[in-house]
This record gives sequence, C-alpha cells and structure tokens, in this order.
Amino acid sequence: MHDNVVDKSKDITILELLDRVLNKGVILTGDIVISVADIDLVYLGVKLMLSSVETMDQLKTGKSILKL
Amino acid sequence: MSENKILFNTAGSLDTISADIGNLANLEDSKLKLTPDNADSGLAKLVLTLVELIRKLVEKQAMRRVDGGSLTEDEIERLGETLMKLEMKMEELKKHFNLTDRDLNINLGPLGDLM
Amino acid sequence: MIYALLSVHEKAEKLNLLLSTIKGISQTDLMAVSYKEIAAVVSCQKETDIIADKNKVLEYAGVIDQLAQHFTLLPMRYGSSMESNEAILVMLKINYTEIHQNLLKVENKNEFGLKIFCDTQKLHTQIRAESEINSSLNNGLEDQPANSVFKDYVNKKLREHRLEELMISYVDALIAEISIYLDQFHAFYKFKKMTTSNNIIDAVFLLDKEKQTELVSAIETLQHRYPDLNVVLTGPWSPFNFVEITIK
Repeated sequence: MHDNVVDKSKDITILELLDRVLNKGVILTGDIVISVADIDLVYLGVKLMLSSVETMDQLKTGKSILKL
Repeated sequence: MSENKILFNTAGSLDTISADIGNLANLEDSKLKLTPDNADSGLAKLVLTLVELIRKLVEKQAMRRVDGGSLTEDEIERLGETLMKLEMKMEELKKHFNLTDRDLNINLGPLGDLM
Repeated sequence: MIYALLSVHEKAEKLNLLLSTIKGISQTDLMAVSYKEIAAVVSCQKETDIIADKNKVLEYAGVIDQLAQHFTLLPMRYGSSMESNEAILVMLKINYTEIHQNLLKVENKNEFGLKIFCDTQKLHTQIRAESEINSSLNNGLEDQPANSVFKDYVNKKLREHRLEELMISYVDALIAEISIYLDQFHAFYKFKKMTTSNNIIDAVFLLDKEKQTELVSAIETLQHRYPDLNVVLTGPWSPFNFVEITIK
C-alpha cells in the first residue's frame, strides 16, 4: 500500500514534469523541432477563426443567430 | 529525476486523481495526426470538432436568451425543437465516424485545449 | 540543443565546474555560451537525438533541475535548438534585455503547481441544495413537465446551463480566496478553471523560495476548509510557466 502511494506520487511528478518541459518554457520561434509542428500551425489558424466567430456573436444583437 | 515533487495532498487521494492528471497532461494522444492513411477520419474529426464547438456556443447563447426572459413561448418552443434536432444530428455523425466526445476536444499545443 | 538560459554573474568558474560533472541527453558534453552575465547551457546534438521520447525528455529536465540548484535560470522548452554556437551567441545578444528582465523576475523564486479536484456529482448536489434556498436554479421553471417535448428539452438545458453558471461562480469564489493568500506572499499566479470535469482549478504560482513552508501550510488550511475537495500541491519547479519571452 505504501509503495503504491510512492509510485503514484512519482508518476504524477513525472507527468507534471513532462507537461512542463514539452509544453512550457522559453520557445525559440522558427527553430522548434517538434514532429507535429505543422499541425500546430493549422490549429493556430483554427483558433483564430473561432475566436473571430465568437466576437461576431457578441457584435450581433443575438437575435438573428438564434433563428437558425 | 525520480524524486517526488508532491508537497501536499490528502493521504490516499492520489489514486482517485491520477487518471485526471493523465488527461490533463495528455501529451500527444489528443493531437490530431493527419497522415495519408487516416485523412478521412482525421478530417472528419477536425470538422466535427468545429461543428460541435459552434453548436455548443449557439446552445449556450440560446440559454442565456431564454434565461433573460425576452423570448415568447412560441420562440422557446421553436428553439427547443432546433437545438434538440441539432444535438441528435450530431450524435448521428459522431456514431457514423466512430468518434467520442473525447475525440472532439483537440489539443491546441501551446494554446491548450479547444473545449 | 539549448537547456536553459542562466544568470551567471561572477560564478562562471562554478558553472564550468558544474557542467563538467553533468551530461546532456544521450551522454553528450555540456558547455556554456556566454554573453555579458547571461549564458546558455547547450550540448551538441544530432538532429535525430532531438525527437522527443520520454527518457530524453526526463534527462533534459534533469539537467535543468541540476542547474537550477545553483543558478537562476529560464528553462527552455524541449527541442529548442540552433545550428551553431555562433547563432546562439547572436540570439543572446539580440534578446539580452528581455532575457535579463525575465531572469530578474524569477530570481530566488520557484514555481509551484496547485490542482484542485472535486467529485463533480457531489459538488453538483451540494450546489443544487444551496440553490434550492434562493431558488436560483428553478426560478421560472415549473416542476410539472410542460406539454411539449421541445419545451421540456429547453427546460432541461436551461437547468444545466444555470448549474454550470453556479459552478463557475463557486470556482471563482475559491480562486478569489486563494488569491488572497497568494497576495500576502507577493506571488505571481495563473489560474485555469474547469480543465476537465473533475479538475476545477489548475494553477501555477511563482514565489520566493523561502516562502515554500508558508505556502504548504496555507494550502493545508485550504484543504481543511474544503474537506470535500482534493487539493494537490507540487513543486518546487523551475519557472516553466513564468517565462514571458519570445526569442527571435
């Protein structure tokens, strides 16, 4: 039981660490070598598009978008 | 780096949350991987994610309006019909492409999760 | 491959000594590229070495951790690399002011992570019970089913919507409470709400190293006040979440 708790803490420590090293920290733009870099760029475009949809929603009075 | 960096938690509580932390840290698995072999389902995933996000936005906005009390009974009735049909259609599509709700939350890399 | 940006000052010799005792990923040698009082700790790596696998990432993190024991640093994201040491030197020159400011900000500070989990079902029940009193959840909704399925559907969705709003205000209140503690420590902090259905708060703090014990007891107090929530504090980490810098 005790060992199990120690293992769990270690697992969580490692997960937290991986999350930080892979997703946080100083970024060198243009030089990152990550296998999925291209896809991330696609997402960036997607996210921008979505946020503009949201802004559009706010700009409208709200009534028109409800009449689908 | 095998040391333990947990500074505080209630004894025995880690079991219940390790799955959640795994989800949070979802390193690579929720990233969309487009390859020639899975272009179909990969694209379906991307498109349905967008559709689902917008559907949820619409639903949320609709509920705000209903809550605001400015809609007539008739309008609420029609709204309910529309939203219900949308949700059913969405379920159909998810089933068709073998996607779960979890699949429809794409990890945006440095930007975090979509939903 | 760059591991971290350090503030060296008069400790250049100490740094070189330290670097001679630790290895980079795949057992490569570490060296320092210096400009004024800042230095980048680097190793020469084949391109294939950089592709992330768990062991390499942990080795990488291990190097950062060992450096952090002795120096103030900005950790780099895994995979940061440039073609030559000359290029790194130019990068340090161009970004000197920004790097310098970021190093000052994290000096003598550590990062801590706080995650708060709840039993969503239980919390919903609790919030529902509380809202019964001021009837905010069912306001304007009849208990009897309406005579139309669509109206029923809207009512169902409306209840869910209100419950969600109440959850958000519950979490906001919790964040406000934690922020009061953190302000006493003069900490920097970032909160994320509702990252998964059970993880209601995912936060990172940056505060003085000496304040660690105080932080732990503050979090302990918080856990006592909310026995139903599951509070996990981790750290000390290098300031991964507090480097606000885009390097050209």
